[in-house]
Amino acid sequence: MATNTPETTEEGRRPGLIPRLANGNVELWANLIVLVWVIAFVLWQGVGFAITIGTVFAIWAILAVSLNLVIGFTGLLSVAHIGFFGIGAYSVAILTSKTDYSLLRTEGIPTYELPFFAALPVGIALAGLTALVVGVVFNRFRDDVFVLVSFGFAIISFNLFLNARAITRGAFGIHDVARPVIGTRVLDGELEFLVMALVCLALVSALAWFIVTSSFGRVLTAIREDEQAASVFGYQVTHYKLAIWVISAMMAAVAGGLFSSWTSFIDPNSFILLESILLVSIVILGGLATIWGSLLGAMTFVLLEEGMRFIPFLPDVYVGQARQVVLGVMLVLLMLFRPQGLLGRYRL
Amino acid sequence: MRRLIASGSRQGNILAIALATLVVAYLAWKVTESPSQSVQFAFNGLSVGAVYALLAMGFTLVYSTVWFFDLYYGAAAAIGAYSVFYLRSKEAIGGLYQVQNPVVNVLFAAVVAGVVAWALYEILWPRLRGRVSQRGMYGIVAAAGAAAGVYSGLVFTYTDNIHLLFGPVAGLAIGVIVALGVREALQRLTGDEGGRVAAYVSAAVGMAVAVVAAALIAGTPETKLYLSWAVSCLLAGCVGLGIYRGLYVTLRQRARSPLVMLVASMGILLAISAAITIVFESAPRPLPDAFGSRPLEIAGGNIKGFNFFTVGVSLVGFAGLLWLLQRTSFGRSVRAIGDDEDVSKVVGINTTVVIAIVFFIGAVFAAMAGILSGHDTAIQPRMGLLLLLKGWIASVVGGIGNLYGALVGGFALGMVEQFGIWDLAGEWKDVISFVVLILFLSFWPKGLLPRK
Repeated sequence: MATNTPETTEEGRRPGLIPRLANGNVELWANLIVLVWVIAFVLWQGVGFAITIGTVFAIWAILAVSLNLVIGFTGLLSVAHIGFFGIGAYSVAILTSKTDYSLLRTEGIPTYELPFFAALPVGIALAGLTALVVGVVFNRFRDDVFVLVSFGFAIISFNLFLNARAITRGAFGIHDVARPVIGTRVLDGELEFLVMALVCLALVSALAWFIVTSSFGRVLTAIREDEQAASVFGYQVTHYKLAIWVISAMMAAVAGGLFSSWTSFIDPNSFILLESILLVSIVILGGLATIWGSLLGAMTFVLLEEGMRFIPFLPDVYVGQARQVVLGVMLVLLMLFRPQGLLGRYRL
Repeated sequence: MRRLIASGSRQGNILAIALATLVVAYLAWKVTESPSQSVQFAFNGLSVGAVYALLAMGFTLVYSTVWFFDLYYGAAAAIGAYSVFYLRSKEAIGGLYQVQNPVVNVLFAAVVAGVVAWALYEILWPRLRGRVSQRGMYGIVAAAGAAAGVYSGLVFTYTDNIHLLFGPVAGLAIGVIVALGVREALQRLTGDEGGRVAAYVSAAVGMAVAVVAAALIAGTPETKLYLSWAVSCLLAGCVGLGIYRGLYVTLRQRARSPLVMLVASMGILLAISAAITIVFESAPRPLPDAFGSRPLEIAGGNIKGFNFFTVGVSLVGFAGLLWLLQRTSFGRSVRAIGDDEDVSKVVGINTTVVIAIVFFIGAVFAAMAGILSGHDTAIQPRMGLLLLLKGWIASVVGGIGNLYGALVGGFALGMVEQFGIWDLAGEWKDVISFVVLILFLSFWPKGLLPRK
């Protein structure tokens, strides 16, 4: 437990909930505030809107959990994740889109009309493969230089989405991305999709938890703490880092597939660099090397936008921008007073 | 050439030579194919490269002093460009866009007031200690800061009279520079160290120049745009200095790794670019036409006179920075801090103040680059991050921590970007520069001119 307050009293007994809150236990307070916030939000906006917001949350949360595996367990601050997210999204979009673009006389892509569950594995595999290639090149970098090259990957992938028009239709975007079909049932209701997204989130989180608690995860922690020591003990440091990088990219592709199927239309604007920076701030806000923290961070991020609607005199168009301001200030404050993030186990 | 190549590993050298040969061969083939177009590309590369060089110089100065990547640097470019737009938006889009916002004015006035107060305190307190009480000192400093805040608030509110309001300050600055130059020259000529005559003569000349310059500037409303450049650069510098003093000083004592600083400055960049979007909307906007914005035709290529000015600014900036770093005691302290900050503290360098000045200079360079590129194309709230990354790449290409490298790297990156899109379309230029970056980092991590 990386908190300032003692977790146990002098008698060795764990204090109750109220005393720990009174002691200023940040982790408990963060959980409590978000819980109250969620309840208030559902009561205020109604269940229908909460379902929409819930899907947004699930997608961000999958991304955050996957990125946390990289940042929290290898110490590499990667801004590249939006690229893998985009690869997943574009794979699903291209493979499932039903619009025949040759009839529209615009820059066309061939239509495959695969079902969602056939397209998603392709996207995941593609993202994993890209991550493998990129990871082999990036493996020699660390710290600030790694940040710079990961910026580079994010920008290169954005430019590919925007400019490789023969594959992605560029700024026109891709319409009619298919919803998932289970058996004969099309998941086109919002609630059904939310359940599906939450199931994916649960699977990804479970996998992440399994990785973190396995011996593989312990080796990763050792590498993060002291890379030289780990390699002295005979671990192939680069292989471990590469493996977690590829796994994380594949998880991000799952989020991408869900995203493009959910919105049913994607264009490159969803994959700009800024989104990636926001994602990094979610992970840092929630806390490094904790899965629950990433979920909490994603929830805070999603609800923050709705919270901004309370600000008087702020036009609705700028709610997202106001959230960015608050998020930026929160990052600065966190770095000052709590560099491990709200629930973090590891300090940057 | 030999020194350039000696820095990499053996395989790296072979690959670098092969790549360089390929690039030169490709260029030669292209140039013989259509010389006029290659002149055009060279001009484009030169004007873009000048901006990158400016960015890389400021960036490398800051980075090689504090050794963390300060993302505020990108926001400084955006602040500079948008501040010019704020001051001169009527001339840019014909009075349609009213940005006169009291909140923004008060905010920036407060930043200026704080920075002035702190700077004054740091300068005066060691000299006046014992003669003035602590409380009296606070009073003086607060009064001066408040005056500076009110003044800058006025400058920001009455943007149409910027030549009247800011002219005297610009004249004074010119006068001080002239006076310093004259004193230096007199001392060299007479061989008289710190002579009284030199001091009097230079002060008299400087004062005369200041009065004439102030009168000239205040009398010609056409200088408004160029005065607004100065105001914007100073403003971006003040914000940078304020962020350093208010945040980075504390943060650096607590931070375990440079990544903490990077994340904090990322928060600042996020907040500032979002705030700019809220005030100015996210659409790209023009800056008013500067001089020489009509294209000239030289040797079959078109180039604006303004682009030559950009190149000139970057060369002057380079020379000024080089003089500052190599010839002055300030420069020696900067280099000492870059080598080892703790030791410099021990030998009596006031590291907080020196680094603060470095941050100020860096932000001014970034703002200048933002303004110049804004006049060349257009400005957007998100421009800061991309400019920052380009400056970062240019300094990696040139060799991080080396001023010559920053100049060379900036122009090299501009040229490579422009010639690289010859057979591709223009939208691939960001991809090209990042591919260049990854190649350099993989095979030639110390850059063209490594730091000694």
